[in-house]
Amino acid sequence: MKTLLVTCGATVSFPKLICSVISAPFIGELKSDGFERLIVQFGKDYREEFAGKLDNELFIEVECSISTAELGTVNTPVSRTLMASHFEIIGIDFSSKIQHVIKEHADLVISHAGTGSILDSLRLAKPLIICVNDDLMNNHQQQIADKFESYGYVWACSAKPKDLLRCLTRSRSEVLKPFQATRSDAFEGRLKFLAFS
Amino acid sequence: MMRTTHISIGLLVLYAIYLVRLICILPFFLKQRQDDSPLRLNSKRKGQLKVFVFLGSGGHTGEMLRLLENYSDLLLANSNTLFVGYSDTQSRAAFAQLAKKTDLKCRIEFYEFIKAREVNSSYFSSFVTIVRTLVDSCFKALSISLRFYSSPHLVLLNGPGTCCVLALWFKLFEWVNLFQSRSNIVYVESLARITSLSLSGKLLYWLADSFVVQWKELQIAKPRAEYYGILV
Repeated sequence: MKTLLVTCGATVSFPKLICSVISAPFIGELKSDGFERLIVQFGKDYREEFAGKLDNELFIEVECSISTAELGTVNTPVSRTLMASHFEIIGIDFSSKIQHVIKEHADLVISHAGTGSILDSLRLAKPLIICVNDDLMNNHQQQIADKFESYGYVWACSAKPKDLLRCLTRSRSEVLKPFQATRSDAFEGRLKFLAFS
Repeated sequence: MMRTTHISIGLLVLYAIYLVRLICILPFFLKQRQDDSPLRLNSKRKGQLKVFVFLGSGGHTGEMLRLLENYSDLLLANSNTLFVGYSDTQSRAAFAQLAKKTDLKCRIEFYEFIKAREVNSSYFSSFVTIVRTLVDSCFKALSISLRFYSSPHLVLLNGPGTCCVLALWFKLFEWVNLFQSRSNIVYVESLARITSLSLSGKLLYWLADSFVVQWKELQIAKPRAEYYGILV
């Protein structure tokens, strides 16, 4: 089941990104691209708003196709399916098994520009679109996104629907560079030197 | 009169000793040694490694856990003692997951700290919580510091506000106790910082025995910084 995972991070929610990915044009584009499922990890204190956005005549409440245990969430996921087709939207506030979810279910990841979320996807070799949250204080996210994009590891954009759609189009034709996992012997040597000398 | 002179001389000697001690322990007086490799390691201190790590919240915790996982051979060896400081339950739960995943067998002790500063909090409320954190963390830092005594040890920090307070205490105890070895504070700046240091980084740049950044641009801007690539 071709799946898009959207992750907003554990601490702060990202309403602009969430609104964009559950908008009709974006879902339409996903469906035409063969996606059948959208998992949104929406972050802290956003459950009611997320469910509210899906409480309309287009969506029917259904049982989640992935178990709560496998999603690594304590709360029951918000799960809806699109009335006219087999397109499922799953919403979770936080996942303690986000790496497992990425590895086992995600074919494409859209992430906020938090370094943890970026590295989780890159290390698992999943194609990644980074979405910058420009509402945050001292916005280092833009720098991070630009940096990783300059290396060819990710596609970066804002949370605007047209920007996201542009990146989605790019993800069909472009191939990203594989991320080189780093483990520094020099750093380990430095730690040993400090501890034992 | 004679007694007063003796006291004055004694105080002067003590003052001189502590001044020299201060110069010895503050890392920016020392020559930076990034080229110390395992091959040049001259192990003077024997015994089991004791490591203190502080887990902040969210991204900071994630980076610290990846650091522990990436260098688990050294940091999480079975014979080690790991002191884990944390300021929220989510961080402790995240650590528990790492312990399960890596089948951790080293000895672990947990220390809960008050958060020094909440994200987006005002300067006044930050000041109040920092004072509370100072008092709360003093005894815990002293307890850990005493446990480090004459053992190989490391203090690994990576950015949340509370770690500045802890570093300050570790350095203060190192200064006051003339017989204590170096506190071995290793500060790893967040991967999110590319061109400028975080507030914690700006403060700990002067206190950390090893100040590590993860982007080349920052090393160029900060002469004391060490760069080993992306570590997390």
